[in-house]
Amino acid sequence: MSLSAPGFPHEAVRERARTGTAAVFPDVSTYGTTLYGAGEAVTGDALDAAALVPPVFVPERLEKLIDLAREPLHSDVDLTTDVGGFASALPVYLSAFGSTQVASVDLGVAASAQAGALGVPMVVGENIVPVSGYGRLDDAGGRSLLARITAYADAAPDGLGGVVVQQSTEDADAEVWNLVYSDPAARPLLESGRLGFELKVGQGAKPGLGGLTVVAREDATRLADQFAVEPVFGRDGPLLRSASPGTFTEEILRQQIRLMRNNFPRARVWVKLPPGRDIGAATRVAWAAGADSVTVDGAQGGSGWAPRAFLAGVGLPLAECLSRIGTPQGCLLVSGRIWEGLRAVKCLAAGARAVGLGRAALLAVETDAQAGLRRLVEALTLEARLLVSALGKYRPAALTREDLWWPGEVTAAEPVPVR
Amino acid sequence: MDTSQNLPAGPREHLSSPTTRAVLLVQHTMLTAAREYLCDRGFTELLPPIIGPVTDPGARGAKQVDVDYYGHRYKLMTSAILYKQASLTAFDRIFCIAPNVRLEPLETSNTDRHLAEFHQIDVEWAGASREDAMGVAEGLVGHVVRRVVERRAAELEVLGRDPDAFADLLSGATFEHRTHEAAVADLHALGHAQSADAEIDWEGEAMLSAKASRPFFVTDYPKGSRGFYDRESDQRPGYLRNFDLLAPEGYGELCSGSEREHRYAQIVARMRETGENPAKYGWYLAMVREGIPASAGFGIGLERLTRYVAGLDSVWQASAYPKVPGVVAP
Repeated sequence: MSLSAPGFPHEAVRERARTGTAAVFPDVSTYGTTLYGAGEAVTGDALDAAALVPPVFVPERLEKLIDLAREPLHSDVDLTTDVGGFASALPVYLSAFGSTQVASVDLGVAASAQAGALGVPMVVGENIVPVSGYGRLDDAGGRSLLARITAYADAAPDGLGGVVVQQSTEDADAEVWNLVYSDPAARPLLESGRLGFELKVGQGAKPGLGGLTVVAREDATRLADQFAVEPVFGRDGPLLRSASPGTFTEEILRQQIRLMRNNFPRARVWVKLPPGRDIGAATRVAWAAGADSVTVDGAQGGSGWAPRAFLAGVGLPLAECLSRIGTPQGCLLVSGRIWEGLRAVKCLAAGARAVGLGRAALLAVETDAQAGLRRLVEALTLEARLLVSALGKYRPAALTREDLWWPGEVTAAEPVPVR
Repeated sequence: MDTSQNLPAGPREHLSSPTTRAVLLVQHTMLTAAREYLCDRGFTELLPPIIGPVTDPGARGAKQVDVDYYGHRYKLMTSAILYKQASLTAFDRIFCIAPNVRLEPLETSNTDRHLAEFHQIDVEWAGASREDAMGVAEGLVGHVVRRVVERRAAELEVLGRDPDAFADLLSGATFEHRTHEAAVADLHALGHAQSADAEIDWEGEAMLSAKASRPFFVTDYPKGSRGFYDRESDQRPGYLRNFDLLAPEGYGELCSGSEREHRYAQIVARMRETGENPAKYGWYLAMVREGIPASAGFGIGLERLTRYVAGLDSVWQASAYPKVPGVVAP
């Protein structure tokens, strides 16, 4: 059974997973015979509607020119970035997939190996251990976590990337972090400074709710101790299993982050926030408490099961999240319908340090388990280099909000006096 | 990390060595002395449970051990704290010699001060303040050391432990108190990077300990460095009414204790602040909701105290059947 992703440009993602950088351009066979010009009407969200706006005057290109003693090209853009305390080859990371059936073990392992080879950080989702595991990493659920960590570590180049293991309120019962921190399998990552833990406060697809999965009736008894299990799909249908969203106040978030730093001094501390209306305050609390990174999942994000009402109209879109956060006081990571370079570079210009690939990565890996994600990321990388260099800049950190124009705004930035 | 150095020999060689025998005799006297001291002050010894549906989550980075209890996930005790508080509904002053199991991170295998299986002299006192508890801890350590010096001179000689090491401790001078904040400042002055929000790291503890000639207390740890049961100060929000007792000569932490949080709503909120799911603490929260006494108490690591008293290189030498983290042993 192949994956589908309604409302998501899955055919375009699959094309990239098959053909890589070729898909950055129109069909090359049309070269010289087709007239391209003004593009298709924009149909997405506010971030899609925004445009990147290269300037005419490019002082940073002059700096690069002096540095190189030749005119710079897009290939001179240096995309290596610190992502939440890890050295990353690109301003990209692999988002958590969650525990839904979609994120099956095989896809997860294939995605892990490709993310490792790309040298970009990877987040491993919540609920993997409590749903099917029971004890050590070599137990049923731990095996999928272990397989993903091992596949990643085996493929990753020295000194690049990192694995971040998520834990939510229910996972705390299974002590996922303690389990990983004390397990020999995770030791090479820990000792090379490439292990992190992500506190999951919420998620984009269903802000205000905990994880939801559909489980078979025969598994219900085992899970009933930990989760609410309800027969919402008819008398004989499968069951809905709900995890709690967890209770957070400013003080609870602050202290949980401090406790992570206290208990796991050698691991990086990441925090994942839902697109809540107080997202600005929440990110500030997390950074002030010492989080190495804060991930914001826009309302367009998520690979998991969610009620239609939540997909239709709950949570802030990513663009609004970025606006409410303003200038980030720490490393900000964002996810939500990201699969190509344009949306990615817009996010970087709006303040993000890196962007997460979730659904796009799953689709790409399903299209080609060996190289689908690699090709997708290669296409994104080429686009990012083209776009960043077009803005007259040669590293992602140089991007600013003046590189973005939002429709309806009169000017993209303060007028610059002519000298 | 190389863990091949300085590890216990096989059980026969370890148990029959003169060093181990001397250490265990010292420890025997320490246990006798601890019971003597506490019983004389009205403390009742209870035998603590070994398994339960939930245990102390406050161990830094250590994994709990699951036990399949007739299909229910139970835990081996990482500490007796929850049961100590509950036990005060029977007696006002209790103590136990409690076995604990913590699967410590592998990085602790060469600290010379971590065991995956160890014991605590656990004390809890209803209605007591932190200062009351510190007074008992100080008196207890002093009494134990005095008894060993009086009764185990031959064993200390076998171990090469000079009783003069305890001259300052036995002089009658009280143990110094310093706040966590001051300890962090001391470490910064020594050039050690110590977070002001976190527990003092092992290296930092050893540095502070090396500069002392008798045990000393560190108080007022920041919230976020300890479990939910250490009471937050009313006067100084964000700081806990707790303490550690550190041994001198670089031996480091011997004991942690605190005034306890016993109020229901505060405990639930603190559980969330420490990332815990209150649902799994059902029996404990039901007792707390109906009311348990305010209290203060502490747990002294028996093997760590033995290491200090006997002057041992490693804490595993203070156990008949040592479990060094990550090392497979009987």
